[in-house]
Order: sequence, then structure tokens, then C-alpha cells
Amino acid sequence: MEGPAVAVCEILKYLIIYQRCETAGVSKGALLEGQLVISIEALNSKHQANTLHCVTTIAAAGSIYGGLVLKKLLKDMQSILPGFFANLNWTSEEAGHSQDASGLRPFQMIFEADVKPRTLMTDSLVIKNFLRKIITVLPKIRFNFSVKVNGILSVEIFGTPKFDTTELPCSRIHPVLGHPVMLFIPDDVVGMGLLGELTLTPAVALCPCPKVFSNQLNRISSISIFLYGPSGLPLIFPNSEQPTTAVFKDASYFIDWKKYRLSMVPNLDLSLDSGSVLPDVSYQVESGEGDQSQNMGPQGQTVLLFLFVDFHRGFPGQKMELWGVHTLLSAHLRAILRESHSVVQGCIQAAVARALEQHRQAVKAHQKLQASLSVAVDSIMSIMTGSTNSSFRKTCLQTLQAADTQEFGTKLHKSFQEVTQHRFLYHCSHEVKQQLLPERNEAEQNTDKAHENGSLELLAGTGEQTENKRLKRGSLGVEETGASRSAGALSPSEAASRRAEPTAAPLTFSRSRTGPGSGLEDAVWLQEISNLSEWLSSGPGP
Amino acid sequence: MAFTPRGPEASFFEVLDQHRASLLAALKRGGEEPTGGGMCLASSSEVLSSIEKIIQDIVTSLARNEAPAFTIDNRSSWENIKFEDSVGLHMVSHCTTRKIKSDSPKSVKNFAIILKILSMIYKLVQSNTYATKRDIYYTDSQLFGNQTVVDNIINDISCMLKVPRRSLHILSTSKGLIAGDLKYLEEDGTKVNCTRATAVAVPSNIQGIQNLITDAKFLLIVEKDATFQRLLDDNFCNKMSPCIMVTGKGVPDLNTRLLVKKLWDTFHIPVFTLVDADPHGIEIMCIYKYGSMAMSFEAHNLTVPAIRWLGLLPSDIKRLNIPKGTLIPLTKRDQMKLDSILKRPYITCQPFWRKEMEIMADSKMKAEIQALTFLSSDYLSRVYLPNKLKFGGWI
Repeated sequence: MEGPAVAVCEILKYLIIYQRCETAGVSKGALLEGQLVISIEALNSKHQANTLHCVTTIAAAGSIYGGLVLKKLLKDMQSILPGFFANLNWTSEEAGHSQDASGLRPFQMIFEADVKPRTLMTDSLVIKNFLRKIITVLPKIRFNFSVKVNGILSVEIFGTPKFDTTELPCSRIHPVLGHPVMLFIPDDVVGMGLLGELTLTPAVALCPCPKVFSNQLNRISSISIFLYGPSGLPLIFPNSEQPTTAVFKDASYFIDWKKYRLSMVPNLDLSLDSGSVLPDVSYQVESGEGDQSQNMGPQGQTVLLFLFVDFHRGFPGQKMELWGVHTLLSAHLRAILRESHSVVQGCIQAAVARALEQHRQAVKAHQKLQASLSVAVDSIMSIMTGSTNSSFRKTCLQTLQAADTQEFGTKLHKSFQEVTQHRFLYHCSHEVKQQLLPERNEAEQNTDKAHENGSLELLAGTGEQTENKRLKRGSLGVEETGASRSAGALSPSEAASRRAEPTAAPLTFSRSRTGPGSGLEDAVWLQEISNLSEWLSSGPGP
Repeated sequence: MAFTPRGPEASFFEVLDQHRASLLAALKRGGEEPTGGGMCLASSSEVLSSIEKIIQDIVTSLARNEAPAFTIDNRSSWENIKFEDSVGLHMVSHCTTRKIKSDSPKSVKNFAIILKILSMIYKLVQSNTYATKRDIYYTDSQLFGNQTVVDNIINDISCMLKVPRRSLHILSTSKGLIAGDLKYLEEDGTKVNCTRATAVAVPSNIQGIQNLITDAKFLLIVEKDATFQRLLDDNFCNKMSPCIMVTGKGVPDLNTRLLVKKLWDTFHIPVFTLVDADPHGIEIMCIYKYGSMAMSFEAHNLTVPAIRWLGLLPSDIKRLNIPKGTLIPLTKRDQMKLDSILKRPYITCQPFWRKEMEIMADSKMKAEIQALTFLSSDYLSRVYLPNKLKFGGWI
């Protein structure tokens, strides 16, 4: 018995693409905004044992969907999910066109289905993961997702940035954009209606931010791949018929692992209920022969590889065509990527190599900083412990509120770490601000230089940093955003070279924790995060 | 082996004596040594307190969650240096500074090295032991990278704490030599007599030498070791006795400069320089006389503005008909250095020096002292210098 997840995800995709089509000519380059509500109310079925009768409602505020023809939506849905919709009960089509108090026509559709409790539980997780993936790219769309099972309600809101008053290390990632490449479309796929150009743009980031370190972050431990299609929507469902790992069966797609003396092993142990965004493909990275450093230490960094596939048609197409393209891509991505193996491999490897080079430089700069701070602390301790001036010693202890010399040394070291890290927080966002300035839409080298400078401007991480490598979405009432360590600032190096508007890859989770209400920071962050597909739709680059 | 000096007759030194008298008169007219800006030897407790104060400031910054930083005077910036005829080049009282921050990756290493050297100085002063700059470098050569880093930071610390390097218990290795009519007692009680046939190394503890005794009529500073040795070989100190000769073997180290300063302060005897007639030689002479930019913060302890240029003068080249084949064309670097020296503030009060440099610039040629050997092998010690000294051939 099929659950509501597939339908919910497809409908959401449909609505978002619809919104994009509606706003395309109005606000080009602007962030896609909106609020969508998904609620599932489940009660024990009166007709079947161990079955829940689920009523799923999808609603959207605003008038953007006023022109949406529900019948067309249903017809399109039925074409791709015939089995599901055959068993579906739609309640009140007219409910999709009710008016709210303001006189606007919010969108609403309701459908019912009977599902097993376990299926509902799994589907809830699938929907959540899908929402998390969407808001990674489309941060200004808010989703209110509630599940009520026999009266017990659970609500989560996705897409709301959360501020934290504590100064935490940089919780962003800093993706490196690769050059977009044209994909070859197999003839049979063309025959299915994919008439146009497909481009693939990789974005690579290291998580956590390599500039804010703990001592363990000196190796790559895993690689997570996220696939997105047109309009910045997730491309492949986890429970798709096509195993996602099969798409990238050839690990050499990503990196010349031999060069780095590493090997990749598919990570099939992906759990939806971890609370993190589940990648489409995940690999564990192990060292090759002779490189013991890779296997040492409990933690490492994750290479996040975002692959954005976009579609361009040389002439105006039908509205909602992108939704159809999405469906085709989801079904035939493997064949398309196989057809373009060498170009895909080249562009991904180049982007990964750049990101890893930044990582290497960041590691080097971090080590240099740590060594220097260690010398500074030792020197001060040498004077402090060797001094016969009791007044001097007492003053030093009192200033750092240390009971004895040992505690003084610990606090001294910690203080140095904190002040250098504090400086980095400024610089981490400052680097992004610099990159987004319209004046800096120069060649890649200039932005690389900013990256290089930025990567050197690192500060030591604190031991208090959590080491959750997965991207975490701080959704209200669910988890502590202090543990979040993803998201945010893309370096628009290639983006800047391609178009005038300062944009960034649409990667976001939580924002840099520089304090609540920092208006300038908000503005910069929002400016950073824009819809990559929107940018790509301006046309393929040089 | 010591030998009984046999110099020229007393009348030989008439002009020299007159010159000395005029120098003493000028000193009397000038009054006391200018106050302010001079670095006095600091006591050990003062140095320790200064370092402790720095540490306290750092800890206080950290407690405020502010990244500590050192504020260092820009020693080598012309905007921070002024010229006074009586002192030479010295630092202005309110000079520009730069910050060595602990939270900048570009400067954090320097910040750490400064602290490291401060901690080493602290230990040296506390234990009343001494180390050379080279010793400091070798304690952690990997951290420091090269000797120049150590040298610069030691000078920065000296400037920051406003104490001479000696007070930091850091010695510089002396490379200079002394010869002639001079005796003194080193701090450890060693008796030194420079009237030996071979030269004596400049001691590493100039401030510590005592009981200086001399009857010298003049002090001759020789640029190059080769010329110094040649004069020794020619028994110049004996022939021109009583006199003292010093060489810094090129650009003088701190101790050689301190020694020259000490001899002047103690005896007020005429001081002359014998340098090559080239821009490099002139610059070396200027270091002795007016000081260097790098050490301008200690100018009052190092400069001897009373120094006179004895030779080799560019005008001597033509006057003595030195063969043109012995002359060397000025290189581009020479030209640039000459132009730079001509623009320096102290040249304006030295019209004769300017004229000599203009002669050099016009001829575009330079000459080493060794060019005089083409006249005769001992022309320098037998003819040139004695005539210069007897007849006042200095500027």
C-alpha cells in the first residue's frame, strides 16, 4: 500500500515549478519565496485492521497559485503516479479555490489514502528529507509540515533561519562552483520529449568549514552527493526504482582518488531518521596503502558534492514543461550521465580538486596558526612561572580568573584560541561580502585570490564544536542548531565570471552565528543564497 | 710582541692638535649632550618589570576577549627619523608605529617570535647571563627561520622597551679590530693592550670596559680589513704613533660603533675615516658619523658627528694623477646609492662632502684605496696618510 510521500513530493515540485514559471518574468534573479503547508492527519481505519486512514492536505498561501488549474495538476500527477492516484480519494476540488479573509485565493488540495502505520512513518521521514533538500537550494520557501496520528500532533517548520546568541564557529560551508558542462542526451531520451540542452554544474564544499578547525579535521572521511534538477529541486527520490548509487557507480567521477591515495566505498548505511539531510549517494573514504594519516583520528571532513542539472530550451516552451523534464531526468539520469561520462568526470574532478586544494591550504594555515599560538602561550608561561614578582603573578592569575599556574595556562591557551577564532568569524563572512560585491565580477583568479586569502584567515576551532558531519537543518522544535555545521556562503567565482549580478549557489542551512538581529548579516546572507537554477536559466555560460 | 712606538716629531701633529682644540671648543659651545632620546643602560629589575608589564597587558587583552598586539615603532621609516647636526640621524619622539597582531595569520608568527625572544631575554636578565644574537637564533632555528628575523626583532624589542641591547643581555658578535695606542680593562678584569703587532678584536662588552688609557693624537677608522692589515704590515701605528686604528671590516657592527663612540666620548681625539672613493665607502662613513636608519633609536649612543673624511677623496684621484686604468665605472647600483646619499638630510650641512660626491657623480668613476698602490706599494702609509694628517687634508 503506497504512502503519501511520493504524491506529496511530486505535488510540491509541481507547485514550486509553477510558482517559478509564474514569477519568471517578474523577478528574475530574485529569491523564490513562499509558504507551503503540508499536513497529514491519520486515524485508525474503521474498515481495515492495522491501517491508518490518512488525509493529506497541501496548502499554499498567497495568490500565486490563483491561476493553477487543479484538474491539470491532477491529470499531470496521474500520468506519473497512476498506481497511487487510482486508489485516491480527492475531497472537494473546489476547496482548492477558496478565498481567505484578504480576498486572495490560497491554494489547497486534499487527498486521502489508507496506509500501514510503518509506511506512514517512513513516508514522513521521506517528506522531511525532501523538504530539507528543497530549502538547501530555496531558502526562502517555508514549509510547515505536521503529522497527526490518532490525535498526537508533531509539527516541524522548515526554511526558517534561526539565530543563536552565542558566538559559535562558522557554521557555513563555502562551496566552490565548478564550470558548467553540456550533457549529451541519448537519442531515446530525446525521443521522450527532452528537447533542449542539459547542463551540469557541480558545487563542492567541505563540511565542516575547513577554516574553523578542531585538531581532528585533517582528513576526508566521506563524500556526500546531492542531485538537483531544474528549478533547484531534488532530482532523485531515495526510494526511486533506480538505485542512486548506480548513477555514480564509477567512483572516479569525483576525484582522481589515486592521486590522493584514497579509495571510496559506497555507504549504504543511510538512515532517514537521523535528522540530517540524506545525500543521494554517499561514500566512505578510506586511505590507500601507505597513508596512515587518513585513517587516524576519530573524525574527518565530508566532501559535499552538489550536482545541479538544468535544462534550457532555445525557444519558449510550455508552462510546467520543467516539471516534465524533472520527471524524465529522474528516470534517465544514469543514461544521460553515462553518455557524457568524460565531460562530467572532468568538471567534477576539477571542482573537487579546487575544493580540496582550499582545504589543504586551510589545513596548512591552521597548523601554522596553532604552532604560533603554542609558542606564544609557552613563552608567556615561561615568564609567568619563572617570575619572582609575586604581584605580577597574582595579577596575571586574577586577570584570567585562574586558581593556579596550571589553570592559568589552560585559560591562556583557550583565550588565544577564542580571540583568533572571533577574528575569523568576521573574516569568513567578510570574504563572502567581498565576493558578492558587483565590482568583483572579474575572472576566476581574482576570486580565487580572495579564497586563498580567506582560507589563510583561519582561526583555530574550539574543542566544543560538535563533529556531526552531516548537513543538519535547524528546524524549530526539533534539534539544537548549535550543532549545525553547514550551509551558506558560496563563492561565486564562476558565477561572477558568468554574469553581472552577484549570486551564489543556493546552499543554505543555518547562517553564520554572529548574533541575532544583525541586519547587515541577514542581507548579505540572503543575497548570497539565490536560486542557482534561476541563475543557470539565463543561459549556458562560455 | 709589544714594541716601543716611535712616531713623528711633535710638530707633525700641530694641525691635528689645532683641530682637536676646535673640536673641544665646539663641544663646550654645544653644552651638554642633548637629553632625551638617548638610551641609558637599564637595570635588570627595570628590564624585568618592562617585560612583565608587556605580559600583563597581553593577559588583560585576552581577558577582554581582545586579540593582543604589539605596537612597534617603525624604525626604518624616514618619516620617523630626523637629523640633528650634533647627533646625526635619530628617531623622532612621536613616531609612526605598526601593530603585530596575534589574530592575523600574516603576523601571528612574528607575534609569537617576539614573545619567545622576550621570554629568553627575561631568563638571561634574571640569571645575569649573556647570549649573542646567534645563540638566540640557534635555540630554535626552525621557528626563527633566519638570523635577520632574530636581529630585527631584538632591535624592535630594544626600541619598544627603550633600552639598549646590552641591557637585554644580548650581545652582538664583534668582527671589528683595534690596533694602536690603547689599553683598557675588560669587565672580567682582563687587561688589553692594543699596541701589539697584531690587532685586537673589538670586545663584545663595550659598556663594561674601563680604565681606557691612550695618548693617541687621532683615531683612524679604516673601512676594509684588507687596508687595515696593510697598514699594520706597514707599521703605520708605530710610524704615526701615538694613534689608534679601528676597522669594522665593512659595515660596522654595533660593538665597533660603540667602541668608536666610547673612544670619542672618553678622549675627544680627532676621528678620521679612510674609505674607498665609492658610494659604499661613503655610506659606511656616514654610518659611523651620523648613524643608520635601523639603529636610529640608539643614535645617541652610537654616532660621532665629529668624524672627518680623510680619504680617499674623489678629488684626490685627479690631484694625485691616479691612473685611469685603476678606476672602476660606477654601476647602476652605485649611481642609485650615490643619489640616495646626496638626498639625505645630513649632506646639506656638509658642502665639501657634497662637492666630492658631485665630482664622483660627474666622473662616473670610483676608486678603491688600493688604487694608491699603483703609485707605489706603500704610498698609502708612507706618503698619502702622513701628508693628509700633517697638513689637515680632511673634510
